[in-house]
Amino acid sequence: MSDTPYPTLLVVEDSDEDFEALNRIMRRTCQFEVPTVRCIDGDDALDFLYQAGPYADSPLAELPGIILLDLNLPGTDGREVLNQIKQDKKLKTIPIVVMTTSSNPRDIEECYRCGVNSYMLKPTNIEHLKSSIRLFIDYWYQVAVLPGSV
Amino acid sequence: MTADSAGLHSLPPSQMTASDFIAQTKAAIATITDSALENADLTNCDREPIHIPNAIQPHGVLLALSQPDWLITQVSQNTEIYLGRTPDTLLGQPLSTLLTDAQIRQLHSTLQEDFESVNPLRLELTVEGHQQLFSAIVHKTNQTIILELETEETSAAVSFFDFYSLVKRPVSRLQRTQTLAELCQIAVEEVKHITNFDRVMVYRFDNDGAGSVIAETHEAGMTPFLGLYYPATDIPEQAKYLYLLNPLRLIPDARYTPVPLVSEGETSKDRALDMSLATLRSVSPLHTEYLNNMGVQASASISLICEHKLWGMIVCHHNSPRKLSYEVRTICEFLGQVVSLELASRQDSEDADYQIRLKTLQTDFVTALTTSDSLLQGLTNHAQSLIELTGATGVAYCEQSNITLLGQTPTQTEVSELVEWLSKQFDQSVIYQTATLSQTYPPAADFESGIKGLLALAISKTQKIYILWFRPEVVQTISWAGNPNKPFEADENGQQRISPRQSFELWKETVRQHSLPWKPCETEAAIELRSAIIGLVLKKADELAQVNSELERSNVELDAFAYVASHDLKEPLRGIHNYSSFLIEDYGEILGEDGSSKLQTLMRLTQRMEDLINSLLHYSRLGRAELLLEPVDLNDLIKGVIDVLKISKAEPVSFEVPQSLPATMGDRTQIIELFTNLLSNAIKYNNKDEKRVEIGFVDPGDTTIPIPKGITQTVFYVKDNGIGIRAKHLDSVFRIFKRLHAPGRYGGGTGAGLTIVKKIIERHGGHIWVDSAYGKGSTFYFTLEN
Repeated sequence: MSDTPYPTLLVVEDSDEDFEALNRIMRRTCQFEVPTVRCIDGDDALDFLYQAGPYADSPLAELPGIILLDLNLPGTDGREVLNQIKQDKKLKTIPIVVMTTSSNPRDIEECYRCGVNSYMLKPTNIEHLKSSIRLFIDYWYQVAVLPGSV
Repeated sequence: MTADSAGLHSLPPSQMTASDFIAQTKAAIATITDSALENADLTNCDREPIHIPNAIQPHGVLLALSQPDWLITQVSQNTEIYLGRTPDTLLGQPLSTLLTDAQIRQLHSTLQEDFESVNPLRLELTVEGHQQLFSAIVHKTNQTIILELETEETSAAVSFFDFYSLVKRPVSRLQRTQTLAELCQIAVEEVKHITNFDRVMVYRFDNDGAGSVIAETHEAGMTPFLGLYYPATDIPEQAKYLYLLNPLRLIPDARYTPVPLVSEGETSKDRALDMSLATLRSVSPLHTEYLNNMGVQASASISLICEHKLWGMIVCHHNSPRKLSYEVRTICEFLGQVVSLELASRQDSEDADYQIRLKTLQTDFVTALTTSDSLLQGLTNHAQSLIELTGATGVAYCEQSNITLLGQTPTQTEVSELVEWLSKQFDQSVIYQTATLSQTYPPAADFESGIKGLLALAISKTQKIYILWFRPEVVQTISWAGNPNKPFEADENGQQRISPRQSFELWKETVRQHSLPWKPCETEAAIELRSAIIGLVLKKADELAQVNSELERSNVELDAFAYVASHDLKEPLRGIHNYSSFLIEDYGEILGEDGSSKLQTLMRLTQRMEDLINSLLHYSRLGRAELLLEPVDLNDLIKGVIDVLKISKAEPVSFEVPQSLPATMGDRTQIIELFTNLLSNAIKYNNKDEKRVEIGFVDPGDTTIPIPKGITQTVFYVKDNGIGIRAKHLDSVFRIFKRLHAPGRYGGGTGAGLTIVKKIIERHGGHIWVDSAYGKGSTFYFTLEN
């Protein structure tokens, strides 16, 4: 059981503008506040999850409840992060939703093969983006039951 | 008649056994002769059945024996002279009436062997009470055994050592010779020395079957025949075949009276004994008449055989009757074989200097070719070398219907017609050659260039690539041994009769319509050039494959680049879009309507840019996606496409498919996209009230539509009654992002549709082109399968 009613959303996103847009849309369209942690790239995300590097001295109270992952990241990219998490006995239960610009069928197939829980495209059109994010939050926070949440 | 026809073609010589060779040669004789022919003269001597004369020469006896009981079935009428027994006392009797059991066993074992190696046998027979020595030759023909007996004067058999000492000198002399001329000269000298004939000659057949005397030795005071030509008709074709079978032919007395064969009950004529291999065989009366006219009383000929063809003969003439012992015959035959074996190597050394020059020329030429961009360029840049390569005076290089002429040649039109005819003349060979083109190709008689010699090389029959070398007419004078044209003479009844000529006086003929013949080294040079060219083509293909694989790699890289670039471009684009939206949301009131509207435009433009990037991505992915070829029913597929279009577009459109479309191979998904794009374009760019779209196909041979050259597949079309395309834009409609109209008109779009259509068609190995009447409509034609 957690202290907060809502599990933490880990956002792995290198683009400040995209992260800002996401935040803004979540703030404006959600009836509740989603606790969010952002990692700026793949290495950062893995350090965070494994309590390594800059996170070594500040132990995590709990693991994120869901991960929103960009694919094209500097350094270790999203595909590797996905692969690593889904192979990790402890981390693999965390649902991962990929949100990316890539509509490449190969990326889509590969991600699902690795066990991604959902794959979303980042639309350019703001209205579409808003609707995607709203649906994402509604589904994962209102409809779906996350591991460790009950 | 050509020397060629005296060769055997049905089996490669290396695979032919001796019995194959005999059987095939006999078959060839049977096809060209007429066994019912009775009075042979020069008009029909080429069909005279000289292998079944039913008679022998009188210097021996012949017995035909049945198998397996060895009963005497046929004998020559002269048995009483040699054996002291009349034919009727022999016919129907077993052979044991003449020979002892031991002698018969000897014959049996001889038959088991190759007869060439064991014959002759020496047999001692009792004739009218005393012993007479005979040489016997036994062989089998069909189911009959033929036994030929000749009396032997001396009982002293030549031993192996005698034989060796007799042949040692001539063989070593023959082997020491360097040139063909020397070889032939030594041959005639040695044969004369052994046989003591008055005149010994080497007679060589040319490509047309005419013979010429190329070496000679004779008794003092005789008129030389050296250098004289004899027409091909002097030795009919079937006789040449017999010379192949019997390397040694003898006529001890040309004025002999033939001795007929007799058999029991019936006349021998009905039993036509095949005497192809019989040494006593009576020769054609025309031949003895010919010899008599020449003043020759005895003759012997030794065949010279090179590569299973009758190359020539060693001919011996004597002014009085002359018989050769078996030993001398064997030596002559042996020497004939030695000369035959040496021929090939001596022939090769003929024109040695010229051959070396050709080789050098060829090497230089091929080196030059390797640095050329195209075959045509390589060949034409070194025109003189190409012409000299075969000792020609002009050359034509033909590729499909393109003809390049160099040097002295017929005209462009003449060559083009000649190539058309020539393409059917090659059979299995890659070379066609003639020194008398106008004989096989009559139009050549009218060539103003005077070209009479042609050496044609087929580099690729399927690609129709030929090289033709030409030679002009050479007026030659040939010294014939007598007038070669068949003379008519009146016989005692005043009837016109054609008989062998009587005069062998020098008769000079001027030969026209001939070029110099192509030498073997020249045709060889042509064949080697072909190998070199093919080698080069293969090398070019290799290089091409290399370039292709590099291109493929750079294509993949380009695709990867397009993909990464579009992704990276999209991110800031999305930022601009989102932030514009946030501006409107947060500061809409401050910006006012005008400011908001401008930001809206900014957002619309980013949206459009994303569409363009998506099209580019899609296009680049089309090039990479694997093509899943399967049979596609276009009728079903198009029906599906139309259904989808009708749902998404409300306006009424009539789609027509006048004929059921043929099945084709293709990637279903891509073909659907192809038709979706073409059909939606047909509707989109259409301002008519009644929009009509027709989908059909035509034959590639259809002349009513503009079909580019080289299209051989079914041509599909999509025809609309839309706005059409101005002629000047026809070329650019397939260019990516090329739009012919303002962005807002005709429903917008990125301008990638036709580019994608073209890419799909090209990936299927097809072509697309467009025909349009501005204001009336456009028709897109395309092919799919390659």
